[in-house]
Amino acid sequence: MEEWKQKKVLIVEDELEIRNMIDGFLRKEGFSRIFHAGSCKEALGICVSDKPDVAILDVMLPDGDGFGLLTSIRRFSQIPVIFLSARGEDEDRLLGLGLGADDYIVKPFLPRELVLRLLVILRRVYAPPQIDRLPVFQLGDSTIDLEAAIVTRDHHEYALTAKEHALLRKLYENRGRIVTSDALCQSVWGDDYYGYENTLMVHMRRIREKIEPCPSTPEYLLTVRGLGYKLLVKEEL
Amino acid sequence: MDGAARILRRYTAASILIAVFLLIVNYIILGTFVFKGINEGAPPVQVTQTVAEGLYKNGSHYTLEPDAEEWLQKSQAWAMLIANNGKVIWDYAIPDQLPRTYSLAEVAQFSRNYLQDYPVFVWEHEMGLVVVGYPKDSLAKYQIHFPISWISDLPYRLLALLFGNILLAALLSLFIGSRLIRAIRPLISGIHALSEDQHTHLEAKGMFSGIARSINHASSLLQEKNALLKARDEARSNWIAGISHDIRTPLSMVLGYASELEESDVVPYEQQQKASIIRKQGEKLRSLVSDLNLVSMLEYEMQPIHTKPIRLSTLARQIVTDFLNNDLAESFTIELDVTTEQCFVMGDEKLLVRAITNLVQNSIVHNPSGCHIHVQTTLSPNQRNALLIVTDNGKGVEQAMLPDLVELPYSSKRKSPSHNGHGLGLPMVARIAAAHHGHLLLTSDTGKGMTAELCFPLSS
Repeated sequence: MEEWKQKKVLIVEDELEIRNMIDGFLRKEGFSRIFHAGSCKEALGICVSDKPDVAILDVMLPDGDGFGLLTSIRRFSQIPVIFLSARGEDEDRLLGLGLGADDYIVKPFLPRELVLRLLVILRRVYAPPQIDRLPVFQLGDSTIDLEAAIVTRDHHEYALTAKEHALLRKLYENRGRIVTSDALCQSVWGDDYYGYENTLMVHMRRIREKIEPCPSTPEYLLTVRGLGYKLLVKEEL
Repeated sequence: MDGAARILRRYTAASILIAVFLLIVNYIILGTFVFKGINEGAPPVQVTQTVAEGLYKNGSHYTLEPDAEEWLQKSQAWAMLIANNGKVIWDYAIPDQLPRTYSLAEVAQFSRNYLQDYPVFVWEHEMGLVVVGYPKDSLAKYQIHFPISWISDLPYRLLALLFGNILLAALLSLFIGSRLIRAIRPLISGIHALSEDQHTHLEAKGMFSGIARSINHASSLLQEKNALLKARDEARSNWIAGISHDIRTPLSMVLGYASELEESDVVPYEQQQKASIIRKQGEKLRSLVSDLNLVSMLEYEMQPIHTKPIRLSTLARQIVTDFLNNDLAESFTIELDVTTEQCFVMGDEKLLVRAITNLVQNSIVHNPSGCHIHVQTTLSPNQRNALLIVTDNGKGVEQAMLPDLVELPYSSKRKSPSHNGHGLGLPMVARIAAAHHGHLLLTSDTGKGMTAELCFPLSS
C-alpha cells in the first residue's frame, strides 16, 4: 500500500480551509507530495511543471469551472481526476464523469471516503499488471483458486465452469454481504434475474457440490430467501 | 359545441314565447284600444228602434216619447215617418232640402246607403217606416257580405294564422340565432381555452369585437402571470439550490474535522464521543440539505427525470439487500415478498431507490425499539398499476395525522407542525411518486403499524 503514498496529489480548490483540510487528511494518511492550487490558471501551471499523478478538482473555481479545467488538462495529460463538488445535481455528475473524470464526490464528504476513493483510483491506474491476479481463498477444508478456477478439497480437484467461476468471483468480491440474484445474473448473463431463476439455482447447486462438504446444508454459500446469495469467508490465505 | 347548441335552443324557445305573447297582447289591444269608439254614443240602430217604438199616433198627431227625443237630440239626428204611400206623415228636425215624398226605389236606395249624404237608418212602424238620419259625415255605412263557406272556414284560418306566426317566429329566431351563434362560437371556444389555461387569440371583428379583445387581453394576462409564476418558482428553486450549495462547503469542514477527531488516537474517549455526535448531526444536516434540494426541484418541476423501464422486484431486492448488508440492527427484521416479477414501471432509478429507501428508513427511524418490515411488490387488483408496499408492525401514526405527513413542513396545507425528524422524507416520497404519475398512499393508526403504498402506472 505504501507505494501509493509516494504519488503526487494536486488539490484544486478555491476555499483555503477546505484545501488545508484535505491536505491534512492526506498527510495523515501518509501522502507527502501534495500541491495546492486555488484557480484554473495555477492548476494548469502545476500540471505542466510538477506533473502530479492524481488531481482533486473543485467544480466551482474563481476563473472558470472544473469541467473546463479538466478539458484543458486532458489536452496534454491523462492523469486520473476526482471531482469534488458542492453541486450534487445529476447533470453535473454525469457531465463530470462524461468528460473522463474517474470519480465524483459531492460535498460534504467524509475524509475517509475521499482517501479510500483516491486509493482505489491510484491502484487502478498505476497498479502493475501482475497485481491483477485473482485471489486464492479458503472455505473450511476447501481451497478455491479463482485464478486457476479450481477447487481443491480432500485431495480432489474440481474444475469450475466459466459461469460457476464468474458467480463465485462476484460472490467473493462481495464476501460477507448479500448479493442479489439480479446482480449475479447481470454479471454472469448480462440479463435480469427473470427467466434465469432455475438456471441460477442449478449453478448454485453445482458450486455447492464443489465447495461445500455437505451441499444440502450449506455452510459457506448461503441462500438469502427472496433476495440472493451470500458467501461467508471465515479465513483468507 | 354543447354550449352553442344550448344557447340556440334557449334563444329559439324564448323567441317563440315572445311571439305568442305579442300575439295575445295584440288581440287584447285590438279589442280594448282600436275598437274603442266604434260604438261611441248610442248605436244608430238602437236609436232608430227606440224612436220607432216611442212614436205613437195621438189623434191626427204623432207624439214622440221624451226619452226617444232626448236620444235624437244627443245624436244630433233627425227623424221622419214615411207612410206606406210614400208620404212623410211625421218628422222631427228634418233638414229642409229633403223631399217630403219618396218612391219605393228611393226608399230601397237610402235604406241601404245614404239619403242625400245623410247616413240614415230605418225601422218598421205600424204606420209605415221610421227613418232616423244622422248629420252628414258623422257615420260611415258599409254593406258587408261573406260567403257561408268562408265563415265556416274562419276558425281554421285563424288557427293556421296562429301556427304560421309561431312557425315564422321559430324560423326567424333560428336564423338570427344561428348567425349569433356563429359570431359567439369563437368567443365560447376562447373562454373554454381560458378556463383550461391555454393561450388563445381571437380575431376581433363583428359585433363581438370588444368581447374578443377582452378575451385576448385576459389570455395574455394569464400567460404573463404564468410566466411570472414560473420565473418565481425557478428563482425559488435556484435559491434553495444555491443555499444548499453554500451550506455544503462549511459542512464539509464540520464533518471532516469531526470525523478526524473521532478517529484520532490522541483524543480522549469522551471527546471522541462528542466528535462522533458532531459528525452524526452533520450527516443529518447533509441529508436534510440534499432532501431539501430534491424536494424543491420536484416541487417546482425542475428535477430532470431520466426514465427507463425498471423491474420493481429487482429494485426492491437491491434495496432490501442494502439494508441487510449495512448492519441493520438486530431488533429489525425485513422481509421481501415478490408476488410477480412482471412489474415494470417507467422510472428514474435513483429517485425510485431514494423513495423506497426512505420508506424503509422511516419504519426504522420511527420505531427505535425495533419492528418487522415487510416489503412487497405486486400488481394492483385491476392489473393496471404496479404497487410497492412497505409495511411495518411498529407504533404507527394517528390516523388523523396521515394527510399532514405528505405535506411539506411549515406549509399552510399542514394542520399541525411536524414533531419528529425534519419531515421532508414523506413529502419527498410523495413528490417522487407524483413525478412518476403515481401516488403515495399511507394507512396507519396508533399502535397498528404503518403501511406505505407506492402506486405507479405499469409500463407496457
